[in-house]
Amino acid sequence: MAIVKMSKFSLFAFDSEMEDLLQELQKFEYVHFHNLEEEEELIEEGLEAVSVPEGIVEVNEEISKVKYGLDMLAKYYERDTGIKAMIEGKATLTFEELEKKALEFDYHQVYNKLRSLSNEIEKYEEEAVKLNARKEELIHWEGLEYPLEDLYSLRQCQVFTGIIPTKMKDKLNQELLDLEYAYFEVVSEDKKNMYIFALTSKDEEEKLNDILRINAFSAIRLEGEDTPKEELNTINERLRELKDEKEKTLEKVKELAHNVPNLEILYEYLMNKKLRIAVNENFLKTEKVNVIEGYIPTEKVDDFTRIIQKTQKNAYYLEVHDAEEDDPNVPILLKNSKFVETFESLTSMYALPRYNEIDPTPLLAPFYLAFFGMMVADAGYGLITVIACFIALKVANLSESQEKFVRFFYYLGFSTTIWGLIFGSFLGGIVPIPGLMDPANEYQKLLIMSIVFGLIHLYFALGIKAYMSIREGKYLDALYDVGFWYMALSGGIVFLLTIVISLPPVVGTISKAVLIIGAVGIVLTNGRSAKSAGGKLAAGLYELYGISSYVGDFVSYSRLMALGLSGGFIASAINMMVEMLIGLGVVGYVAGIVVFVVGQLFNIFLSLLSAYVHTIRLTYVEFFGKFYEGGGKAFNIFRSKPKYINLK
Amino acid sequence: MTFSELLIENAGVVFAALGMAIAVFLSGIGSAKGVGIVGEAATGVIIEEPHKFGKSLVLQLLPGTQGLYGFVIGLMVLGKLNSGMSLAEGLYLFMACLPVGIVGWKSAIAQAKVAAAGVNILAKNEDESTKGIIYSVMVETYALLAFVISLILVNAVSF
Repeated sequence: MAIVKMSKFSLFAFDSEMEDLLQELQKFEYVHFHNLEEEEELIEEGLEAVSVPEGIVEVNEEISKVKYGLDMLAKYYERDTGIKAMIEGKATLTFEELEKKALEFDYHQVYNKLRSLSNEIEKYEEEAVKLNARKEELIHWEGLEYPLEDLYSLRQCQVFTGIIPTKMKDKLNQELLDLEYAYFEVVSEDKKNMYIFALTSKDEEEKLNDILRINAFSAIRLEGEDTPKEELNTINERLRELKDEKEKTLEKVKELAHNVPNLEILYEYLMNKKLRIAVNENFLKTEKVNVIEGYIPTEKVDDFTRIIQKTQKNAYYLEVHDAEEDDPNVPILLKNSKFVETFESLTSMYALPRYNEIDPTPLLAPFYLAFFGMMVADAGYGLITVIACFIALKVANLSESQEKFVRFFYYLGFSTTIWGLIFGSFLGGIVPIPGLMDPANEYQKLLIMSIVFGLIHLYFALGIKAYMSIREGKYLDALYDVGFWYMALSGGIVFLLTIVISLPPVVGTISKAVLIIGAVGIVLTNGRSAKSAGGKLAAGLYELYGISSYVGDFVSYSRLMALGLSGGFIASAINMMVEMLIGLGVVGYVAGIVVFVVGQLFNIFLSLLSAYVHTIRLTYVEFFGKFYEGGGKAFNIFRSKPKYINLK
Repeated sequence: MTFSELLIENAGVVFAALGMAIAVFLSGIGSAKGVGIVGEAATGVIIEEPHKFGKSLVLQLLPGTQGLYGFVIGLMVLGKLNSGMSLAEGLYLFMACLPVGIVGWKSAIAQAKVAAAGVNILAKNEDESTKGIIYSVMVETYALLAFVISLILVNAVSF
């Protein structure tokens, strides 16, 4: 069985010993807690929900501090990039190592330093903003050559400084002519405003004020001591100083960047700690005792029991029994051979099987392998994939899921190579190899082959459905839902063949009979879930109508031919271009090589992508559609999904 | 020589070339537009999360295949062109090009819309983005069917 057998456990444990227990269980990893708060019966019996301990607030605070540090330092931490980074991969730690390293690391010191440094930077930035604002203001008055300090305290004269819209210029000049003692100067002007300096005797102050006011004057009082020019110099000087200071502080921040790996480890540790606290939400309790329920893989029951014994110094109650087949809460963990496990991502992407179903992964894998290869079907592409994946597997430090993904394509590369040899195609025909068939000219053979593969795929899917019925002891269901369909389909196909090609007439008669028996069987039995006799018949007829969808299914397999052909043609089109280029001499030679490499690589990528998704479609729609339901819950291991490291 | 004689003698190759052109340019227009639609959607994601570039590129490429199918049919017709082609053969090849051209054009755009929605999945829930790819590929089935028919038609009858 490819679905891991589960055992259900119920544990009553004292509140005081919970922390220890959870910590040990997290090391154990393979525990899936069942959320008891959904069990209304138990709640009605007086059990209370466990409130999440207050510790979680503290942990969250810690996490946000670590994140603060990571955000600030990550950009200064020099990591390897590109291929080197891929080879290095993430650090791999066991849970114990993670805990040890995280506890050794004194984060508070780093955090406090960072905090004070960032406060300093903020202070500098704030001052710079203020200075810049003042600079903006003064820059218009640079031409004014009086010290600002005593600008407004002249004994005889009144000084006006401010702005007037530029369009008022002529009008203002005209009006000012009436005044006897007024002096007027435009210090600077831009498109909209002019910055003016005006001065007059105290007697005329009122008059000037009126004239200015009519011309939309708004006064600006200039603060400062020296002339605006001097003032600006001082400001610029200070801004430079601030910039230096800030850079010095940033240098100090950069010096802390070597803490990033430790911060990342601490982050992972805290996330696990948070999970350990948050998991309490799943439990119920009486005054002193916690009630815990969950699932563990049956093969690990002994280890689990040992951990409970170790951590529970006081009395406890533990009950473990095999999970029931039809319990919808049983979490699903898949376990397959090293080859098949790489295809598990396909199953889980569609839906995990329910606990009483079978794991379809080993069933879909051989077909996936064959179909994928047929869709790419180029020995060169296959070899390149195999070699690239092989190198990646040998050299790079991959996480578990990455490793599976690469190994998946490694296997598919072999299939692609084999199909490439069958079709005699190597990098779009650049190296002529004698194949068993030539897809470009024998496309009809290829099309028939594709549809026959489809037929095998679908018959196999129906066979699995029959197997599942038989496993449950429903032999008649197997006959009704699969047997009759086999008859109807096979009879129909052979009967159609007798029309196209000449076969002995007895074949036609037999096939017709089989077709009719099958069809009648379907009409009579497939509607059996309906209530009335009329309903049963109508539903049966409708089911028989479903035979038309098989036509669509078969046609769908023509993509096996089409994708292979189109990829092959594009590859040979690239080769054609290269040939033309190479004919042009030395420059053409170089250009030809570039076009060849880039073009073929692009086509490899596109062919692999198309084959990947189109084979998925054949699996999900045509294959799974016949027998597979799914809908199982995933087994959540008691670990937080690591972001920066690989956790063993 | 009357006009109709002129037509019968020379128009074959012209029609065949026209078919080839239609197969390439209709499906090409569809793919170009489709790849453009998804590309626009993808740029929005990349601003905030540049590490999703690879996955968004896969989504963007999906509606690009129709153009390639048209191109392949174009190449196959190219292999059949010769100046002495009869009018019937030329017209026949012209017709053979229509499925991949027209279906390729429209299906690429329809597929692009699904793929652009898939970019949304990528933006909000990266782990599930493969499902967006699969939704989008469902549309491509019909372009593939048209391609198969065009392919069969181009090769089925020899004149």
